[in-house]
Amino acid sequence: MIEIGIEEKTYTLNLGPQHPSTHGVLRVLLEMDGEYITKAEPVIGYGHRGHEHMAENRNYQQFLPNMGRVDYLHALAYNQGYCMAVEKLVGLTVPERGEFIRVILSELNRISSHLVWIGAYLLDLGAFTPILYAFDDREHILDLLDRITGSRLTYCFYRFGGAPRDLDEEFITGVRAFIKRLRSRFRDYESLVTKNAIFINRTRDVGVITRDQAVKYGLTGPTLRGSGIAYDIRKSEPYSAYPAFDFQIPIGEKGDVFDRYLVRILEMEQSLRIIEQALNQLPNGPIMADKVPKRLKPAAGEVYQAVESARGEFGCYIVSQGDIKPYRIKLRVPSFGNLSILPEVAVDTLVADLVAILGSVDVVIPEIDR
Amino acid sequence: MLKDKLKAALAPLNLAQVSDGDYAKTGYHLEVAAGPEQMPAVAQAMLDQGCFLESFTAVDLRESFTLVYHFASFDELCRTVVHASLMKETKEAKGAQAPTISRVYPGADWYEREVYDLFGIKFAGHPNLKRLLLPEDADFHPLLKDFGAEPGND
Amino acid sequence: MIIGLIGVIALVATNALFLIWMERKVSAHMQLRLGPMEVGPHGAVQTVADALKLMGKELITPEEVDRPVYWLAPIVIFLPVLLAFLVIPFSRSLIIKDMNVGIVLILAFSTLTVLALLMAGWSSNNKYSAFGAIRAVAQNVAYEIPLLITVMSVILMVGSFKLSDIVAAQGSYWFVLVQPLAFILFITCATAETNRNPFDLPEAESELVAGFHTEYTGMRFAMFFLAEYTNMFITSAVAAVLFLGGWRGPILPGVVWFLLKVYALIFLMMWFRWTFPRVRFDQLITVAWKVLIPLAFANLLITALVLKLR
Repeated sequence: MIEIGIEEKTYTLNLGPQHPSTHGVLRVLLEMDGEYITKAEPVIGYGHRGHEHMAENRNYQQFLPNMGRVDYLHALAYNQGYCMAVEKLVGLTVPERGEFIRVILSELNRISSHLVWIGAYLLDLGAFTPILYAFDDREHILDLLDRITGSRLTYCFYRFGGAPRDLDEEFITGVRAFIKRLRSRFRDYESLVTKNAIFINRTRDVGVITRDQAVKYGLTGPTLRGSGIAYDIRKSEPYSAYPAFDFQIPIGEKGDVFDRYLVRILEMEQSLRIIEQALNQLPNGPIMADKVPKRLKPAAGEVYQAVESARGEFGCYIVSQGDIKPYRIKLRVPSFGNLSILPEVAVDTLVADLVAILGSVDVVIPEIDR
Repeated sequence: MLKDKLKAALAPLNLAQVSDGDYAKTGYHLEVAAGPEQMPAVAQAMLDQGCFLESFTAVDLRESFTLVYHFASFDELCRTVVHASLMKETKEAKGAQAPTISRVYPGADWYEREVYDLFGIKFAGHPNLKRLLLPEDADFHPLLKDFGAEPGND
Repeated sequence: MIIGLIGVIALVATNALFLIWMERKVSAHMQLRLGPMEVGPHGAVQTVADALKLMGKELITPEEVDRPVYWLAPIVIFLPVLLAFLVIPFSRSLIIKDMNVGIVLILAFSTLTVLALLMAGWSSNNKYSAFGAIRAVAQNVAYEIPLLITVMSVILMVGSFKLSDIVAAQGSYWFVLVQPLAFILFITCATAETNRNPFDLPEAESELVAGFHTEYTGMRFAMFFLAEYTNMFITSAVAAVLFLGGWRGPILPGVVWFLLKVYALIFLMMWFRWTFPRVRFDQLITVAWKVLIPLAFANLLITALVLKLR
């Protein structure tokens, strides 16, 4: 706990809530000894909109659009998690083609989320150009997803039982062309960023997270995998069509900022592999389950469904008491746990390192605040 | 199998229920019911088996609260849910109170602050029980079932 | 002399206008965009429009600042740089005052900018500005030393501080061919002295908002930028004189060659800015004291040795 104004040697500096590097409305109270940080305390809640309260006052279908606003960068994963949780409660099975469509779109969304992360992260470190390259690539993804879902950012596409609209030929050709283009772009990123001596100096051996810390704080996602733990829901607790695909889970060795960066770059390549395989194996058939009731009234019970979003494990915990409105929905968001490790990792670092560490954890504040 | 190791680790704690879950229907491999005062010991047992705290929240069941802890493991798929039923008021303390598990899992710090913020449940022994999401001077707990029952509160 | 001074002021103003436009276009094309295109052909008049807008802005002085120092800082950062123009040889005959201690004058004046940064950061009564000022002082002092030692290597070869003598001594070959290490060191130190990326910690910050000029608005803010671009011109001009043969070159008149070389070096500095991320502060100081100073000293010793053995 930071007590303002009592210590003589240290002084308090406020990072945020409006700050170019905090990726949303986050405030970090820093107690500093010269340039070194002695205590860092994140203050959140500036974007609390009461999603969980909203869930109790709407029926299951009406809550669908909320999921896109929780984490707007990987909205389709949240769509998927919520839909799967409700489908488990009701007992619906999504047909194969529907699952494949969900996987393709979610993986495209994952890539676009990682591209935003790379651009914004390097902007924090002072490199002004990669963000424009990354956003250029992302434009292609947004155009592709816009064709099918109708939105560019806060998607609300999946329905209980499948997907409402099918993929068309132009989309599939567009995706194949994009895969080729992005693969050639990875070489640019590698020479511009990954092999850049200044970048390596800023990120190597900075912000090391140990396995013990990862377990005690419940970290998930690339933040965890940078520390060498191969935990990815898509492999550890496979869901949807993921068992049909052959892909790897990149992990780091030291758990420093550079490893977390590298994990995300490699993950993008793996996502491309998944999309390719999905397009090649795309089965024919229906995209929606039949006999989906118009007004969902699940039996009493509870369910927990986990999916892997770009930031880590998104868990949807629903308690139903047999009503058309959920009794309680808890959204377990990855950034919540991932950010809570900041006070421990930020001690005895410079402000520049804090910015690097905070960026490498990849937090999206609206999902923490809900 | 992690599930059997967990069952063995939880056996000496004399919990109300330790049974297999229906994974296909609920997503749980192990369902545990405990009293809130047993939670620090349960958390320690889970940590010793290498599990991490996946999520923690509360449900307002009108006459009582249920604290719901989810544990999972990085190495083997085994999700454990622990339900702890909490009385809303006891003779000793006005308002619901439960012991903290943040000594065992530092990550629970923020989860417990959130539950306090949204439900008003206090956690004894918590190092910093302040509101997390709502402003510090807010005087309501929005996820209680009787919040919004009065006019002008919704 | 008066005409020279007026000419200098005119040059500085036009130069700043041109450089700001050049920076925006260079950065745009490196980032796959176009930059200003609307105002004038390819946005050529954009900077004039921006300057007019800035002149119309309100000059806000925050309440708690140290007023005299706060007001003086933009002036102090600008004046020495202007005066350094007095000794730059634009061509064989175009020097305002060819002083015997030409190079020393320039180096002395460019050091005064640090004082201005400190004044600006301290008087703003703002933790972020103070941070920026402290970093600027540490950075400039640290990089001044290898800069001076590198310049000494060239002076050793020429034997005179007069800038026209230095250019005259490059009749047969440019000094960059015999002193490549010195050239690289000089460009690195020059980038650090002018607070350009990757050494721009004191100013454009994603950590400290805007560093030492956080509290400055309107025309005062413009003065800092004017000074930065003019400083870039001066250091590139010194580099061109010391290493690239000044105004020497076939066919074209001396002035044209000189300006070409200066703007090529400025382009190089701009290229750095849009390519590299920022160095961390302790790494910055480490590189200066542990890498650049030893290298500069080594270069000086080798130069002295070679000259002695000749």
